Amino acid sequence: MQTTTVSRDFQARQKRQILLRRLCPLLTILLLLLFWQWITDREIISPILVPSPADVFAAFASALADGSLARHTMTTLGEMMYGLLLGVGVGLALGYAIAKAPLLEYVLSPIIVAFQSTPIVAYAPLLIIWFGTGPSSKVVTTAVIVFFPALVNTIVGIRSVSPRLRDLMRSLNAGPGRTFRLLEFPSALPVILAGLKTSTTLAVIGAVVGEFVGSGSGLGVLVIMARSQYNTPLVVVTVLTMTVIALSLYSLVALLEWRFLVWQRRASA
Amino acid sequence: MLYLKRFATILALLVTSMIGAQADLDQERILLTFIPNVQFAPFYVGLQHGTFSEVGFDVELEHLQEPEVLDLVAVGQANYGIVSGEQVILARSRGRDVVYVFEWFQQYPVALVHSSELDLSNLEQLRGLKIGIPGRFGASYSGLTTLLNSAGLTESEIELNEIGFNAPEVFCLGAVDAAIVYANNEPLQIRNLTDAGECGDLEDVEVLTVASQVDLVSNGLIVNRSQLEEMPYQIARMVGAFREALRITIDNPAGAYLASLSYVDTLPSDDALITALTEAAARQQAFLADGPSRAEVAGSRRTMLEGLSRQFDGALLAQFHVLLDSIELWDADTLGYSDLVSWEAMRDILALMNLLGDDLGDLGAAFSNEFVSVSDE
Amino acid sequence: MKLRAENLAVSFHGPNGDLLPALGPISFTVADDQFVCLLGPSGCGKSTLIRVLAGLLQPSTGAAFCDEEVIKRPLTGSAIVFQDTNLMPWRTVLDNIALPLEIAGMSRSERYSTVRKLLPQLNLEDFERAYPAELSGGMAQRVALGRVIVQAPQVWLLDEPFAALDALTRETLSLELLRLRRRARQTIILVTHDINEAVLLADRVIVMSRRPGRLVADVEIDLPRPRSAEMIYQRDFLQLTKKIRDLIEEQRA
Repeated sequence: MQTTTVSRDFQARQKRQILLRRLCPLLTILLLLLFWQWITDREIISPILVPSPADVFAAFASALADGSLARHTMTTLGEMMYGLLLGVGVGLALGYAIAKAPLLEYVLSPIIVAFQSTPIVAYAPLLIIWFGTGPSSKVVTTAVIVFFPALVNTIVGIRSVSPRLRDLMRSLNAGPGRTFRLLEFPSALPVILAGLKTSTTLAVIGAVVGEFVGSGSGLGVLVIMARSQYNTPLVVVTVLTMTVIALSLYSLVALLEWRFLVWQRRASA
Repeated sequence: MLYLKRFATILALLVTSMIGAQADLDQERILLTFIPNVQFAPFYVGLQHGTFSEVGFDVELEHLQEPEVLDLVAVGQANYGIVSGEQVILARSRGRDVVYVFEWFQQYPVALVHSSELDLSNLEQLRGLKIGIPGRFGASYSGLTTLLNSAGLTESEIELNEIGFNAPEVFCLGAVDAAIVYANNEPLQIRNLTDAGECGDLEDVEVLTVASQVDLVSNGLIVNRSQLEEMPYQIARMVGAFREALRITIDNPAGAYLASLSYVDTLPSDDALITALTEAAARQQAFLADGPSRAEVAGSRRTMLEGLSRQFDGALLAQFHVLLDSIELWDADTLGYSDLVSWEAMRDILALMNLLGDDLGDLGAAFSNEFVSVSDE
Repeated sequence: MKLRAENLAVSFHGPNGDLLPALGPISFTVADDQFVCLLGPSGCGKSTLIRVLAGLLQPSTGAAFCDEEVIKRPLTGSAIVFQDTNLMPWRTVLDNIALPLEIAGMSRSERYSTVRKLLPQLNLEDFERAYPAELSGGMAQRVALGRVIVQAPQVWLLDEPFAALDALTRETLSLELLRLRRRARQTIILVTHDINEAVLLADRVIVMSRRPGRLVADVEIDLPRPRSAEMIYQRDFLQLTKKIRDLIEEQRA
């Protein structure tokens, strides 16, 4: 009797803790907003440098109303999507090839490492000259920046496939196609999805860097235009929009993980 | 305890003496835009000839984006900045109380570069052209809008391409018919490319300046309102020093180029050029001693270039050429004087572009000529 | 199916490039439908031998034969159970057992109904949706056995399948293996280092030397079938285990 009460208490306490943990991020955001409002109310920092939440909200409402925010967001989202498809696609394919043929790694790694360790901001202007001033150059900057995590995680994922499971597949006379579909892909999926999480957050950077160098629309352009019009609230709105996009894409991949990696969740439970 | 006290006293003395060594100079940051470049030669001349230190300033130059320059001056984190007049109007319409006290560029530097085969004697002919521009912001965009406005056209009647600061490459690839550029910079680069036959089929280019159509206010020195009210004498000293440095640069570009070499890493030079410039600078100094007129000085600059061109190739002289072209945009009888008409024209363009915020206020408060002595010359 | 090893030896390349002998040379024949236990100290090359017989590894010298044909790659008629259960952590019990059928190209509904028929005799009927991480060691090994049973192989190659289990579970599973075998006779080679287990299950026990494993003794186990757990206390059984233990001791000396 007593033990059940204790355990019920314990359960209730655990539930409360879980709820609290879920509320924590919201609480942080709320506190941050209050702190922000307080700073601007007291004019501790000049409103020129930090606009008030109210001003930012007004800028958000007006950018939403005239459709400009949606238009620029769609441009950036489009560039990001195609960039992700291209960069992650090539990363997956090349990663698989390298994992299977270590010789390729020796041939390609100098180029890949050079590409990766050079700041994209530095050579983005070249990409604009080579791939034109339209969206294609932003797709390329995005692809270049998202490519690496996809590549590395694919190599790691495929290389860490259990050799004993490979033996099993061989003993079952599974061909390369079935080995890929039934063993390599599901086995590497957790690592690949982890890489995809990194790639999606980097995609925003890639698109915006490309837009900074020269573009007609997109959130990167909106930041420059807002800044050149001294519309700091709109700058904040645009930056927050980028944050929301990055977080949403990240959550989307997290959702994929939740959906496809049931076994991992159950294993840790 | 006693030792400690003595030690503290010595330390205090030491510190005060160290500060004292620089105490007679005011530390000042001047915020510039872009990157170190020969176009900022007057500042390098001011530093090297001591025009700033003579009036009590220890000047440090910093390069930022234009909006950052303006905001830092507006909130008082820096006392002086160089921005274009349109930035002053835009920023003032959004609550930044900055004042423009010295008009450095007398002519708006933005221009349209195009193939000589294209006849733009009638601006109407801009219609339908594919025009490259760094982006829909800043002076280039205002300049283009001004040209279109003068032609009676709107942006939808041309094909606008955002190409970043890559005009020479994009233009020479033939991706655009014309490009919005800075009159004192890209046209020279493009001409060097056409001369070398590296600019597609193009043989020569022409430049259509915005200034040839409308007088717009351009780059100048800004301060913020409270500084203007609290320490006008300090501003007067700074403006005076800059005007002197500007005058030295205009009068003796060879000397100015030599001064710039210590500040701009990528400035082309070799021993022969340095020797030639040193000699040219000395000759120019002697020539100036006779007190020549502005037109005579302008003539001497052309002679100087012709002399150097016989000795050196175009690539080595490219940046010197940029300096001479820039000087043409700076030179005036009264350096620094700003005309209300040019402000009004600028404001009208910005209003046309729908860029202005709500509290426009009095345009007359945006600039001041009180530090510019008309009797200067 | 009949299995034969003829002067079979395997060497591996060491880190310094020198050849390290791992197995043999060893020769033996396993008759059709015979249950043979390979007994030997750890590291003697038992697993290597199983991998050669499974067609996963080519011998350095000599050859392995299945019905007088050289084993060059995995045979369709043979199946292997690995030391650890070697299940796919992302597949449920049902899908793990069905893996060979999926590779063979059987449709989903067909393979599920095949596996579901098998689950009761494996005591897994309540766990078809469970993932390997949620299973006990014994259950996981039953899943691994199920994955072999669905292949209906004529040759079973079992590489210390029960090594990781506790003694009781191990005994239960061993006897289950015998029960399963009674329904359809197959040739079985089971690797173990447990003498009792070997004697209890096998028709023949092959004793191997230390690395590189060679044949030390080939002992016929003429105990009656069906076998049961009580047998291990009988005199015949004890005599056999003692004989084998002595053979191993001789080796060590």
